[in-house]
Amino acid sequence: MSTSVDAEQAWLDLQRIRVPEERVYDEIERCAHRDARSTYTTAAIMWVFIASWGLDLPEWAFWLVLAGYVVGLGALGYHFNRRSRLRLHRSRHSWRQFAMFFAGMVVTAATILLSDRLVESLGLPFGSLIQATVSAGVFVLLVGPANRWAVSTLRARGARAVLEGEAR
Amino acid sequence: MSTPSGFDELIHPSTRLSVVALLAATEWADFPFIRDSLSLSDSALSKQLHTLEEAGYLEIRKEGGGRKRRTKVRLTQRGRTAFEGHVAALRAIVEGAGATAPRTAAEPEPATARTAPASQQHHAEAGR
Repeated sequence: MSTSVDAEQAWLDLQRIRVPEERVYDEIERCAHRDARSTYTTAAIMWVFIASWGLDLPEWAFWLVLAGYVVGLGALGYHFNRRSRLRLHRSRHSWRQFAMFFAGMVVTAATILLSDRLVESLGLPFGSLIQATVSAGVFVLLVGPANRWAVSTLRARGARAVLEGEAR
Repeated sequence: MSTPSGFDELIHPSTRLSVVALLAATEWADFPFIRDSLSLSDSALSKQLHTLEEAGYLEIRKEGGGRKRRTKVRLTQRGRTAFEGHVAALRAIVEGAGATAPRTAAEPEPATARTAPASQQHHAEAGR
């Protein structure tokens, strides 16, 4: 059995392929623009962890809190992964997403260190609370725009990938 | 007209082509997302998925239980290869037609403007 396909039908099929791909990128962008709950929850966990530094905990307790922090972030990641409706194929990711991940870590670490120095140099009371609030605040302010920037080129990149795949 | 190598009879029907195209952009997608994106009924999508699963083009995995039960669909490597081959075959048909084919077919333009009519047509077909 063989199907005869003329050029017009083939061209329509090529256009048809793009429609479901657009729905995938719509969903990715929708999540990047609207899913603020994960950002606030991550910031809250971070706030508790950094604020705990001011309690002068013994070493074992510090490690316990650190383990709790890691487990909390892991559980959060698992929860939001379970809620997501799809995962973008690895070939469709862009360098921006990896850059955002590492830049986020650098900015968060730098904010923690700088706020620590600032609190110490000014001799402010409740230093760890200020440090936690500043760090969590910077995280909340930056992660939304950074996330939108990271996914903004995925659609064009996906279209390019299809064209390159077609050209092979 | 003879079809070029890579042309896949199984993927060719419009609904299956859309399902595979959607899954090709993802590691996995859940059943309701595919259904809603393609404006299909549960039964119509289920039928197409099982046809593709029997051919080894995709995997259907059910997770959880009760009301939290989820069905995740993933394109296999075989399915991905078949889809890429099919797209290449379609491309070859368009290019083979030369001047008689629409000139814009080879141009990378934003999909939204061009796909609107195709989308409407597709949804109409998918709803049948």
